Amino acid sequence: MEDFEPTIIAFVCNWCTYTAADLAGTSRQSYPTNVRLIRVMCTGMVDPKYIIKAFLEGADAVLVSGCHPGDCHYINGNYKARRRMKLLKAILPQYGFDEKRLKLTWIGASDGIQFARTIRDMVSEIKELGPNEAKHAAVV
Amino acid sequence: MKPKIGRALVVGGGISGIRAALDLAETGYGVTLVDRAPHIGGVLSQLDNQFPTNQCGMCKMLPLVERDAGSQYCLRKGLFHENIDIRLSTEVVGIEGEAGSFMVRLREQPRFVDPEKCIGCGECAAVCPVDVADEFNAGLSERKAVYLPVPHMMPNTYVIDPAACTRCGECVTACPTGAIRLFRQGRQDFGVLVVDDEYTVRDSIKEWLVEDGFSVETAGSGEEALDLMKKQPFKMMLLDIKMPGMDGVEVLKKTMETFPDMAVVMMTAYATVETAVEAMKTGAMDYLMKPFDPEDLVSKVIDVYEIQEASRGEEVEAGAVVFCGGTEGYDPSTGKNTFGYKKFPDVVTGLEFERLISGTGPGGGQLVRPSNGEPVRKIAWIQCVGSRDLQTDADFCSGFCCMYAIKEAMLAKEKGPEDLDATIFYMDMRTFGKTFQRFRDSAEKDHAIRFTRGRVHTVYLDEKTGKLMISYPGENSQRIEEAFDMVVLSTGQQPAGGMDKLAQTADFDLNQWGFALAEPFAPSKTKREGIFFGGAFSGPKDIAESVISAGSASLCASVALHSAGRGMAEVTGDAPEYIDVSIQAPKVRVVLCECGSTLPGGIDMKAIAADLKTDPVVENVFTIPRICTTEGWDLLVEKAKAKGYNRLLVGACMPYAHARRLKELGEKVLMNPVLMEVEDIRAPAFRYADAEASYIQKAMERNLRSGISRLRGVDPLPKTSVPVARKALVVGGGIAGMTAALAIADHGYPVTLVENDPELGGNLNWLARTIEGYDVHAFMDSVRQRLEKHPQVTIHVDSSVMSAFGEVGNFFTTIETGSQSSVETLHHGVAIIATGGGEAPANMYSHGENDAIITQKELEQKVSDKQIDVTSMDTVVMIQCAGSREEPRNYCSRVCCASTLKHILHMKKENADLSIYVLYRDMMSYGFSETWFTEARKAGAVFIPYTVDKKPVVSVPGDGSNVKISAYEPLLDANVEINADLLVLATGIVPSLPESLAAAYGAHVDADGFFQEAEPKWRPVDSLKEGVFACGIALSPRSVTESVATAEAAAQRAMRILTKSALSRAGVTARVRQSLCSLCERCIDVCPYGARSIDLDLQKVIVNAAMCQGCGNCASECPNSASVVDGFFDGRMLDMIDMVIE
Repeated sequence: MEDFEPTIIAFVCNWCTYTAADLAGTSRQSYPTNVRLIRVMCTGMVDPKYIIKAFLEGADAVLVSGCHPGDCHYINGNYKARRRMKLLKAILPQYGFDEKRLKLTWIGASDGIQFARTIRDMVSEIKELGPNEAKHAAVV
Repeated sequence: MKPKIGRALVVGGGISGIRAALDLAETGYGVTLVDRAPHIGGVLSQLDNQFPTNQCGMCKMLPLVERDAGSQYCLRKGLFHENIDIRLSTEVVGIEGEAGSFMVRLREQPRFVDPEKCIGCGECAAVCPVDVADEFNAGLSERKAVYLPVPHMMPNTYVIDPAACTRCGECVTACPTGAIRLFRQGRQDFGVLVVDDEYTVRDSIKEWLVEDGFSVETAGSGEEALDLMKKQPFKMMLLDIKMPGMDGVEVLKKTMETFPDMAVVMMTAYATVETAVEAMKTGAMDYLMKPFDPEDLVSKVIDVYEIQEASRGEEVEAGAVVFCGGTEGYDPSTGKNTFGYKKFPDVVTGLEFERLISGTGPGGGQLVRPSNGEPVRKIAWIQCVGSRDLQTDADFCSGFCCMYAIKEAMLAKEKGPEDLDATIFYMDMRTFGKTFQRFRDSAEKDHAIRFTRGRVHTVYLDEKTGKLMISYPGENSQRIEEAFDMVVLSTGQQPAGGMDKLAQTADFDLNQWGFALAEPFAPSKTKREGIFFGGAFSGPKDIAESVISAGSASLCASVALHSAGRGMAEVTGDAPEYIDVSIQAPKVRVVLCECGSTLPGGIDMKAIAADLKTDPVVENVFTIPRICTTEGWDLLVEKAKAKGYNRLLVGACMPYAHARRLKELGEKVLMNPVLMEVEDIRAPAFRYADAEASYIQKAMERNLRSGISRLRGVDPLPKTSVPVARKALVVGGGIAGMTAALAIADHGYPVTLVENDPELGGNLNWLARTIEGYDVHAFMDSVRQRLEKHPQVTIHVDSSVMSAFGEVGNFFTTIETGSQSSVETLHHGVAIIATGGGEAPANMYSHGENDAIITQKELEQKVSDKQIDVTSMDTVVMIQCAGSREEPRNYCSRVCCASTLKHILHMKKENADLSIYVLYRDMMSYGFSETWFTEARKAGAVFIPYTVDKKPVVSVPGDGSNVKISAYEPLLDANVEINADLLVLATGIVPSLPESLAAAYGAHVDADGFFQEAEPKWRPVDSLKEGVFACGIALSPRSVTESVATAEAAAQRAMRILTKSALSRAGVTARVRQSLCSLCERCIDVCPYGARSIDLDLQKVIVNAAMCQGCGNCASECPNSASVVDGFFDGRMLDMIDMVIE
């Protein structure tokens, strides 16, 4: 368990969090190597099945991150994402996934530091939680 | 067919410059956008949060139709548009010619770092020995002399600050790409002549300059200097003014005759400064005051040398010039500085506060005291620092500080400890904008921010506690002393530096405070035709007003370009016909940049290439030493030209910076740019700086694989488009509607204007004069006459809109005219709503019970009809905010305070002995109308503040005697009673926009009945539904001139659509797979742009490709996966998830 390095899939919106991640990179904010970014136009575009797919493929955690409430480039996509994530969190345990493995955050374009911090925090939380064992057990 | 386009020059790349440039570019013009700073974005590059959302959202300014012409990423990161050519570190030095054909001379400051070669690696900054204050963090942190002006911006090329740079050359050696040049080598050829009658002076100057590498000759007199000049060439002369025999000025004159290009710097003692200034008019470049510091002198010579040798001049042709130069923040350390700014570290300006709480700020967003790093628990804002202050020569209101202080107080509450105490000390809270009053109320009620009235004059330090002390008058005029951890000075706006020179260069006038002076009723027009102002250049403005003003300026520029025949005439030359790859199996060619030798050691590009080749979809993998250089790019083009593939993946750095180049590449190799991607392989090396090379290599490979899987899923669709009916409909014939109609008609497009009343003009029919004394009726008549004669305008008076439907490009409106009910249906591409508003009914303060109680409108009418004789009166009382700024009409009507001031000054002129009392809550004399407020007080009008819970009481005696007004006077702490001959109520403005009218066009009205704009700051005249715009009072209360600005801005937004015969579909757009669609209509509900509708005849859900923004909310909402977004199909997304997890 000592060597466990979680794999985190992050669905980040094109306008805010992707920019923040890029800023974290260009401003040399070093953060754990565990995160894999998938850029989407809006968090409202993230279909719950992408998240379930990520867990099934072996992701130890999934981050969905977009613009702050009221700041969505597409007016209200982040609110829709918030609604969907809430529902998804409710049903995830039925598939055998701990709902703590799914996280929704708002990280604005200038919050490079915040992005790096979020990833760091998430890695240590998931390390505590242990690997996603359910991926082997889940039956779809 | 490529259109032949006119070109406009936009000066200033702040928010208004960006808006003006984008507006013109979207309309189809070419734009040269220049900024003297090394970055665009102006002050907004430093601000993360804007009121009233307290977020950013600047990206909402980006093009919505024809999106693919511009960048699709955070606008604070950078701007790209195929019609905009951005020139940074560039100034305008001359404008010759006339509207339609200006020749603008630009001068680019010396480029020490070649932006083509710089890869933003930062090796230069790492070795730079100089530390100076960082402007980006408002001086709160330090940077090097070679630095990134805005760390988050693209392209991230370093620049050198010549004033701070010591030319030590360390960076030149460190730069891995050889991008830095310091121009030291050329100094030997730069001849300097020093002319002074004192031997010691000229000899020591020579010594200093020779030490710095210049070649120097000296002359002891004017005659000797002129002789020397004949013998050998000089580039520069340092010339003493006071010399025996021929004096400096005469030498200068003679020199200018024969060597007009010589850079002459005069040297003078204090007594002859005026002569030196005179000399500058004769042709001297500058002057130096004796005795001078050797460093100043040498750096002056270096400056001149670098400007002459390294700066590049250029001439640009432009049909119109828009100045969006913005303003500067007031520096509180100048003047008396009673607030101890720069003396006490915990006293900061508003901008510094924004930097302190920013994630990119000096403290990484922690709200701590700069003095000791402890958390801030108690914080105060002091308003009107450098505004509304005669002592700093600022008898104007900066207009935006009240709102930003409230915003900052809210942010402090959010970022600081839970019990943080925030207080705002103010004179008047000027919440005059739309929704501002409710914002303020919410700050007070929901966020517990304390608002304390009173002007704070001093901040001092309590040495024992280390706290900042503020004393202010409390209730009953008792002095209260209070300690704070931090004090924020709400500094105002000042004219930008160099306004005088620019005004001379461009030939426009300045007002008494040094802002650009606009023409009456034409907020963007200068006295010189073809030259316009946008944004705060012509007076302090907040973002929303700047955006409107920039829209107005770009409209004026567009009219100027159009009338000079530089419209959209078509010329031959084909748009690229991309090769159709739709039936080919995907074959990805990968080109990798080796990034010089700057990648961490141990990374094996060959191994990556070999690994990628095992993927059957990969056609081939090439490596190139450095793609970002010109040679590298040529190599890439060469690799791309060879056939055998249909998708191109470039592995390099900075994917943001490559958008424009990929488009060019696409045109060269006839490949749709959608089929090309840049994958960032440089970032893993930065991000995982501590990781082993093998790990970074793996991350790079993973990025490339996800790029490959993205490209594999791309399927370019044939370009569909939405046809545009190139006609406009304007509803409402007041000044806003008339202006908008004229503006569009002046571009040659037919406009129909519909007005309810039997005649045009709206409120201007009863309004006589403005506060400035401009004649409103003459203005209205001139607009109306032009409109009535215009061949492109059809006017329907006594008419109304019966019904309407449709979408951008194709609206259908049925108009009903007169009692005989003639009905006509129009087909038009855009709709502008300008239904205006009127004075709110007076149902308070006994209005209607006595003839002496009238409203402002009644007063205006009675004054112009001479029904009121002021000379026979003793006392007039005016009550402001009668029914305004409290629920249910909880908004400021903006015009009433200025109107009150206008009447006061008029009445006082007629009868100097007249007593005038104004009962007010906050005087909203924003901008330059503050001067009138000062004038009114000087004239003797008495202003008594009241609060909503202690309103004045009006009583009307039955015996016909004077009206009695009783009010609480806070300074006296007593009730006062006034007998008035006349009581004037400022009741404010109510809109007259029928909800059904807005709804017919898919727009909405807000809680107060005004038009709901798409976004209060970034899209202030648009509806969320594309193609519908609003202006004038329909939008929110505003003055005549402000209405004209919104009308022009709305017309400009409409022009973006009308100049195109069809709107084409962007690359990332949603569509419906009809065979899977169950017509549940959930996607229609979820679409924020109203881009979807159901066609009941066809039984299909239709997507309007021009309105769809590609957010994909419909796709995740759709239960059948029938709704899909191009480039983000489920298959592709799932494939990518697979790929990144391995």
